[in-house]
This record gives sequence, structure tokens and C-alpha cells, in this order.
Amino acid sequence: MLMQNADPTTKGAAGVPPAPPGGSCHRPLLGPGAEHSLVVRLTGPSSLAAARTAFDRAARPAVDDGAGFWTESMPFPSDDPRAEHLVRREALRGSPGERPRLRAVLVTYSDDAADLVLVAHRTLLDREALRRLADALAGQGEPDVPAEAVRPRTPPWRTAPDTSPEPPLWGLAEGGGSPVSQGPAEPADVLPQPGTPEVAVAAAALALARYEGTATVTLAVPALPGARPGSGGLLTVTADDERTVAELIEQVRQRPPAPDGTGAPTLAVVVCERLPGERYRPLLAPTVPLTLLWEAEQDRLIASGTVSDDRAVHPGQAARFQECVQYVARQLHEAAPDRTLGEIELVPPDRAARIEALGRTLGPHLDSGRTIHDAVGRMARTRPDAVALTGEDGTLTYGELDSRATARAHALRASGVTPGSFVGVCLERTADLVVTLLAVLKAGAAYVPLDPAYPADRLRYVCEDAAVSLVVTTVADFPAGDGVRVLAPSALHGFPEVPLPAVASDAAAYVIYTSGTTGRPKGVVVPHRNVLALLAATTGPLELGPHDVWTLFHSSAFDFSVWEIWGCLMTGGRLVVVPFLTTRSPQEFHALLVQERVTVLNQTPSAFSALLDADARQGGGLLLRLVVFGGEALDPRMLRPWFRRYPTTVCRMVNMYGITETTVHVTAQDVTPVQAGPGSSCVGRALPGWSVSVRDERGRVLPIGVAGEIHVGGAGVARHYLNRADLTAERFVHDGRTGERRYRSGDRGRMRPDGSLDHLGRLDEQVKLRGFRIELGEVRSVLLGDPAVAEAAVILDEGTDTAYARLVAYVVLRHGTTADVRRRVGTVLPEHMVPAAIVSLPALPLTVNGKLDRSRLPAPAGAAEPGPAPAEAPTGHGASPVTGTAETVLAVWRTVLDEATGPDDDFFEMGGNSLAAVRLLAALRDLGLPALSPRDLYVHRTAAKLAALADARGARS
Amino acid sequence: MRLKNKVALVTGAARGLGRSCAVRFAEEGADLVLMDLGTDLPGVPYPLGTAGQLEHTADLCRRQGASVLTAVCDVRDPAGVGALVRDALSRYGRVDVLVNNAGIAAPSGKAVHAITEEEWSLMLDVDLFGAWRLIREVVPAMLRERQGSIINIASTAGLVGYRHFAGYVAAKHGLVGLTKAAALDYAPMKVRVNALCPGSVRDDPRVESRMLSEIARSLDVAVEDHEHTFVQAQPMNALIEPDDVSSAAVWLASDDSRQVTGTVVTVDGGFTAR
Repeated sequence: MLMQNADPTTKGAAGVPPAPPGGSCHRPLLGPGAEHSLVVRLTGPSSLAAARTAFDRAARPAVDDGAGFWTESMPFPSDDPRAEHLVRREALRGSPGERPRLRAVLVTYSDDAADLVLVAHRTLLDREALRRLADALAGQGEPDVPAEAVRPRTPPWRTAPDTSPEPPLWGLAEGGGSPVSQGPAEPADVLPQPGTPEVAVAAAALALARYEGTATVTLAVPALPGARPGSGGLLTVTADDERTVAELIEQVRQRPPAPDGTGAPTLAVVVCERLPGERYRPLLAPTVPLTLLWEAEQDRLIASGTVSDDRAVHPGQAARFQECVQYVARQLHEAAPDRTLGEIELVPPDRAARIEALGRTLGPHLDSGRTIHDAVGRMARTRPDAVALTGEDGTLTYGELDSRATARAHALRASGVTPGSFVGVCLERTADLVVTLLAVLKAGAAYVPLDPAYPADRLRYVCEDAAVSLVVTTVADFPAGDGVRVLAPSALHGFPEVPLPAVASDAAAYVIYTSGTTGRPKGVVVPHRNVLALLAATTGPLELGPHDVWTLFHSSAFDFSVWEIWGCLMTGGRLVVVPFLTTRSPQEFHALLVQERVTVLNQTPSAFSALLDADARQGGGLLLRLVVFGGEALDPRMLRPWFRRYPTTVCRMVNMYGITETTVHVTAQDVTPVQAGPGSSCVGRALPGWSVSVRDERGRVLPIGVAGEIHVGGAGVARHYLNRADLTAERFVHDGRTGERRYRSGDRGRMRPDGSLDHLGRLDEQVKLRGFRIELGEVRSVLLGDPAVAEAAVILDEGTDTAYARLVAYVVLRHGTTADVRRRVGTVLPEHMVPAAIVSLPALPLTVNGKLDRSRLPAPAGAAEPGPAPAEAPTGHGASPVTGTAETVLAVWRTVLDEATGPDDDFFEMGGNSLAAVRLLAALRDLGLPALSPRDLYVHRTAAKLAALADARGARS
Repeated sequence: MRLKNKVALVTGAARGLGRSCAVRFAEEGADLVLMDLGTDLPGVPYPLGTAGQLEHTADLCRRQGASVLTAVCDVRDPAGVGALVRDALSRYGRVDVLVNNAGIAAPSGKAVHAITEEEWSLMLDVDLFGAWRLIREVVPAMLRERQGSIINIASTAGLVGYRHFAGYVAAKHGLVGLTKAAALDYAPMKVRVNALCPGSVRDDPRVESRMLSEIARSLDVAVEDHEHTFVQAQPMNALIEPDDVSSAAVWLASDDSRQVTGTVVTVDGGFTAR
């Protein structure tokens, strides 16, 4: 029997230096399942007997009964496709079991040719030894092969405890505890590409660094071809954007992988020499989450497949990773040595285009001439007698709404409002608010919503920044600046009709202010067209129509209200305006939903969780058919009790991810009881007409599954930030290649293979609290603006439940107390931005780099306040006596607010918010105290006063 | 290729349903471990499959491109069964599918009280205990892989009675019971156990089957008369072909039936529906 292309210089074990202990690769590639295989084609009559004898002589003494020699006599010739399939199966067949094994299979064919397949554990025989054994079995070289030729170079592995690493986030694996014996994925046709083994490793390191979003990565790399045997191990490479291609490759070349390194790498790269006459497979089963296999041949590389652990890396992700590595390797090979790594692209252009297409949902054609008020006007013409608005201040039909708004538009025009100008609207949640907003649009202006609950400074700032010409408000002492006209709605009557202007669909409809990174809120200018696109995208899928009853629950200064108001009125529904105090009482709101037969509800998950409790207490009875979540991340697990009462066939639950700058919503996802299992961060696919993509800092598309910044394009992208050209240029980017304008959300996300998006939080410090996006830096800068505060830090204390999330500030005081600081800050910041707790510290804990060490910030509840002045004594002199009911009430207050709360502390000044109020009142009710409403708490704001009220009620009943 | 990369162990593979299953499995991409007693058995009044027939089955499978390991082994011999399974695992590293097909239909033809101690023991030892021994040896490897499909070839005699076949009927009923109990034992580990109950299978020269003839002989009737009687009794008016049974076995072996366990699949032309 002759071996094709056999190397005549190979002569058994003689002359080959034994490999050092530890073998030629690192431990990650030596564990159970780390087997490799060699296939050689033999020609000429096979001598089975001789091969078996040689095997028994060479292998058995070394491997004992772990060795097996088998023959297969196939009734077809060696060039039959069945032969190739069989041999491939044999070569990929591992030997899962208790100890390392060696298997030899001699497959003979009807044409006298044969294939010899050797499979062994890597600790038992290295590639060289496999080759020598093949020689011996083929009758080549020494007929009497000494046992040393195949003696194990290293002791067989001892089964180590399972040290499998955390599955990488980008692996998109389903997880599960079952071991997975997935063989290597071998691509059918792979063209060789120029490059060296070092380039292959460098490319893998760079790709991994980009996938993981870190500069430094560690990978397992067995000895590269040509390298000293045993030189493999764990390789740590730094691949930040500033380094050059030459520096990267030099790290691979120079830095010795540590054979005894510890840690469980995510990735291994195995580069093997391709030798004529044999097919070598270096790894048959996963030993780390993902292994990339390469073959090197002269100065060429062939990507020969991947081996992945399905529990950690989805096979599709493995293939896509390998594709990126190949692309990176090509660039590294061709690049000038001084090119920086930042210039190297990760995703091949054709793949990037496919990923972009995946995130894009085609939208319906929009009638370019339409506006929001046209759409509402159409409803008024077709269904003038249908009820449009229900509020405490009355009910309006579409006809009445339209005529009132028209009359008020005339009044606004007569009062000097010009097309394209901005009109401030600062009204409580009433039907009149909606009439006014519609009137502003009809007058050709854009409305700037101002929440009457906001502090005067904030209202003044917005009016000035937006340069509003006029403010419509019922607030008596509205803090308008110079030259701003302030009118009450009642003053907008009896003006003569003047022609109303034609309004283009790209005219601004509203300006909503959001939290800004520099401490200043910024105005987002949104044109009519965007709102029309939003309704065009959602009306069909959400089946919105005249049969629906919506609520206006949210402040008009929160863009969720844009969706509530115009979503309802542009589709002919009835809008129930919820009075402010009702929005603060889940029980009252629940009663309103039942009474008004509301069908479409929009809520932040925090608010909905309170409503869930109310619904459980009141035994259901809701007629909702659709709940839309927005404003903050939804944990579907909170919906489990809801689904028991309202199956999705009765009430659809839709989670929508959105940003003010992209017109309320971006993606939508139906939430089902299945998802109510493990927490899911999936927010669904882009709305029709919208597009989402996940990109790196340079705006380049990232691969599927890799976390980066969410960019939003398409029909919802706002026009710009008002008066903030620099920020507009930074956040609203123009893609030179596609011509598309995209908004960089600052949100972290990843794309799933089906085009849906996982939302992974904020890239920067911006947080979402009960639907409000808050820049922690903005709160901090206000705190630092207080003369008593020397240093400040603000964190979002999420506790164990998003519904209990709150802002906590840490301050170093110059003088005074935290209560003073809280009082002053409350005059500058809106309620949702005032920290729920302010903790005084002697100094802020810092890291060695001089940055705030968040991990060392004390938990606020029990934190002492060692400020220069003593904190207000909980029951100091002058405080109300604490007895009976008062004691009970105060004890509950302290669990909800702060241990240091005194009986005369104002609930809201002490950081209490509406959610804390709900918890407080529920706890008091559970303790058997007379029923108290949020309204009561707004009036009786201290524990002593509330206890007195409870006592009075108790005495009456 | 519904059984690609799977390794199947089939007992009683020299001929009949065992051969039919083996060849169908090979067509579907499986590699095979084929086992048969390969010799006659004292007390069984008809010739059993031979080692030559077993090799012929292996050759038919290799023609489909399958790798085949054959072994002459008695299901009554615990040590032999243990060695065979170790050998199979050493060769292939795994066994994904076990078809417990080995069985005898005679000694039969007597009323219950007339059956001897030896006849009763032999019948149960082969038809019921044999399947249990194979399961005992193969299951640990399946549990390690968190997957596996065990197919017990029972019979309509595992569901209804037949006159003068008490030993066979008791053994096959026992096999159906074993199937259900084992299915519950291993369901959490994704190892499935199902019974396949064929009706009267036509003697097919391609698989050298002779069940029907041997039953006729046991009952001392002419084969043609016996066939006729059975065809009359079949609602679909025809005898079962070996391929009808092995097609069902392919389904039970494949991942297509991944949620099927502890069930009885009858391939009997409606016989037990009456």
C-alpha cells in the first residue's frame, strides 16, 4: 500500500524532538472533546492484516484499550460521492466518553483504494504523531514503529470542573443546560485569501474587540505553523482604534501566548498548515464558545470553518463572525502598516447593506400636502356629531372641536401669531388644552407645550429659548419674559375671522423640550409630516379607528401625549382627558377607564404597574383592547397577573421603543405571555417608514448581535434642535452614501437576525425614570449651582424593581442642610428631576483614576448625614407629638421615604413622588386606616397632618 | 436524509423487519450497529436468521453509503449485550437510536395451561427481557447526549389477545408496558421510548421474512389459508408490508417525532380499531 505524496523524510519518532509538557496548545483546547482527525488516501491493494498488526504494535501499548482499529469495506469505488460523505462523517466523529481515545478506521473501496481515518484526543497524539501513525499503518517508513512514536506526550486530561465562560452577549444563543455535540461547520467553497497565520489571529482579535466593545481581548491560540511547538496558549491583544496595523500584528508575532494562563476565553483561533495528501481537522467539538479554523498554505489562508458551542454561540452567529474576520484579515493584509485600526472595517459592505435593509421597514406612501389639523378636520367633516373630547370641562363633538379651534386660531392670528412662529401653551389637562393645541396648528404656528407643574425657572427658560411670541395659559402669574404676550383662553373669544394660512406638511407642528447633556433642556422641532407618518405606520397594524376611546393621561410636555392626542383625533376616536389628580390615583384612574369604556391605553410601565394593582383590587372590569407601553424599558414579567385576567385575544399589549427626536415611537413589539417568562429586552422591528440600525462610534453598521448605538432613520426623524446647530449636527447625521438622515439616539442596542431590536439601556448617563429622560449631568449641574454644595453626584437607584427607581444625589456640603438644598433645587428642576434622596458625605469616593467610584457610594436609606450642620432631627423640639395613628403613619412614611423623616416634613419636599404616594397610601390602607386618596395627601402633606385626617375620618365612621 | 449523522442499533437485523429498518435507516443517512443471534435456538421450532444473512443486511446498508458494525450476539446474554454496546460506543462514540426488534413467535400454539416452564421462560427472556437488557446498556450513552430514540417493536399482540399465543401475547403486552414506564423515566432527559405494533406482516423474500409462515406452522394450518384468514380480518383488506413498518420506525427514530414518547404506533391496517 502506498501513501500519496508521503514525505519520504518522515521516519517514525527518530529525530523529532518531543514536544514539551503541555502539548502544542493551551488548556482550552485540551479538555474533554478536544479531538482532532487526519484522513489520508491510500492507493494500491490494501493489506488490512498488515495495517491491523502495525496498529496493534504502534498504538495499543500506548493507548491501551482506549484504542480501536476498524475496517469498512464499501461496495463502491473511491471516487463515488458516498465515499466522500462516509469519510467526512468518520473524520468528524468524536468519542464523547470518560477518557481519551484513539480510533483508526480503514475504509476500503471496490477499486483497491482506501482512506485511512485517524481520530484522537489532542493530548494523546499531536498532529505529527498522527501523521507518523498513518505512515506506519500504510506500511511506510519503519515497519516496526516503536511505541514511543505514539506515546502520549502529555498525561491524558483529568476531567476538570466545568469552567465554561459566560456566553457572549453577541452569541444570541438560546442557552440551555444540555451539552451540545455540534460538529464543525465546514463551508463548502472557500477561496483562499492572501495572508499569514499572524494576520488570521490579528484579524480575529480585532473582530472580537469590536464585537465585545473593548480594546483588549484574550484568545486561545495553539502554536501557529512554523512556530516552536508548545508556543501556543492564551494571547492577550490590545486592538484600540489608535493603534496601527503593524502594531497589532507585531503583538501577535512577539507576545508569547501564556501556556499556563488562566481564564476561559470566548474565542480560539486555530491555524494549521495545509499539507498535500492529507485532510486535517484540528478540532471536532467545541471546547470554548467559538473556535475559528484556518488553513495556511504558503502565503495564503483558507477559512476552513468554525466549531461553536450552540449553548453559547448560535451557529449563524459563528458563521457571521468568521465572515467578518475574513474581511478584516483581507484588509489587514493589504493595509499600509501605519494605517490605524480605526480605519479597518468590520462588516463587508454587501453584508452591511443587508443588515441596514433588515432594520428598515417600508412605509406607506404619504400624501405630501397634509397636516395634522387637516386630518382632524376630515374627521369633523365626515363625522361632525361624533364625540371627540370628554373632559371635566365638558364634551365636544368633532364638529364643535373643529369650529372652536378654528375660532381660536382666528383669535391667535388676530393676536399676532404668524405662520411658522412658536406659541407657548401652558394649560392643565382639559378639553380646552386640546382645542388650543389644534388652534395653534390651524394658525400655522407650532405649539410649545409647558406643564403648569414645572418650576417658574424652567417655564421661563423654555419661553425664552423658543422665543415664543405668545403664551396661552390659565396660570395667573406665568413667568413670561419681556415681550412675551400672555393670554388666558377666555381672552381668545370674539375675534373676527381672518384667513387661515395654508400649512405645508414639513412645517413645524410642535417643539418639545427634553433633558440636555449640558444642563440645558433642548427643544426638538417636529414637523406635521412626521406625525402623519406615525399614524400612517400604526393605524393599520394597531387597527385604530372611530370605535376607539383613548385617554390623554400624560403631560403635554411629554411627547407620549402627542401620540395620545393626535393618534386618537386623527383616527376618529374619542379622547378622554384625564384630570391631573386622577392620573395620580390608580384607583380613580381605573374607575375612569371603566366608566368611560376606554379601549386604547398608553402607559409607561411604571404607571401601569400601579394600575395593575388597582385592577386586581377592583376585580378587573376594563374594556381595553390595546395597551401601548412607551417611555421606558418594559420588563414583560410584570404582566403575568395581567395576562391571567386579560388574554391577548381580548387586549393586545404592544411595547414601543421611542424617542422624542424620532416622533414618539420607533419600533413596536407585541408582548405575549410567552415573553412574560424570562426578561426580554426586545422592542421589536422598526415601524413602517422608520429604520433602525446599530452602529459603532464612527457610524459604521455593526454585525447582527453586536451592541452599539441605536441610530434611527426614516419618516420620524425630527427636523433639528432649536437654536442648537452644533448639537443638531452632532446628533442628526447625514449618511453620505444613502443620503439618509439619521438620529443618533445615544441608546445602546443590538440587532437580532430577524431585524428586531434589543434595547440595552443608555450609552451615556442619561436615564429614564417613569417615562422621563433625565440627564444625570443636568441634575448634578443644578446641584452644583447651589451655593451650599461643593461637590455632587447623582445616580439612578433602581432598587429591585423599575417601579421603585428613584434619583439619589450625593453632595458634599459647604454649609446648611440637605433639606435646604432639596428645597432650592425643587424651585429649579421639575418634580421628576428632583432627587428623591439627597445624602451628605464628607467627600465623594473616587477611583484611582479620579473618577467617581459609584460602587462605594453608600445606600441612601440608612446613610448618615455628617454635614457641617446637623441634619434636621427626626423628632426635634417644636415637632408634633408622635402618638397612636401618627406613630403608625410616620413609621410607614419612613419606610417609603427616609428613616430620618419627621412628622412635620412635607411628603413631596422629602422626595416623595406620585409612585411613593401610591405605595404609602396602599400601606396605610393595608394597616386598616381609613381610606385616604392621593388628593388627601396633596392637601395634607405631613405625617402629622395626614394622621390627624385619618383620625378624624376614623372618628366619623 | 432524516437520520443524517445518527447511529442506530438494530437487533434481530439478519432478516425481516430488522433488515427492513436497517436498510431504510441507511437510506436516511444513518450509520448502523446490526446485531443478530445468527443461529438457531433450541426450543424454537423454526430456523432463525443466520450470520450470513446479517452480513447481507450490512452489505445492503453499505450500498447506501452507511458505515456498519455487525455483531453476532444473544439478547439473553447480559455480558454479550454489554460488550456489544461498549464496542458500538467505542466505534461510533454514540448510539442515537435503538430498535429492539429481536423476537421469537414460537414455541406457541398451545393453551395457557399446556405451556411448559421452559417455553414460557424462553419466550419472555427473548421478547421482553432482551429489550430491557439493550435499553439498560444503551440508555446511559443516550442520557449523556440528552437525546435518543428507543423503538420497541411490539405487535398487535401487545394490544389484544390471540388464541394459543399466550407467551407471545404476554411478552408483547409487557413490552408495551416497559415502553410506557421507560418513556416516563427518561422524558426529562429527552430520551424517547415508543412502541411500534405491526399487524400481520407479509413474508417478503427481499427481507427473507417468514413470520407469517411460522405462525401458520405453529397453528398447523396452511400458509395460504392463514394469509387469507388474516387478510379477511384486516379492515384495509391487505397484509402489512415490511416497508410500512420501517417507514414508521424512521419517523420515530428521526427528530420529526421529537415530542412523541411513551406512545404506541400501530401499523395494522385498522385491525385493532375494531
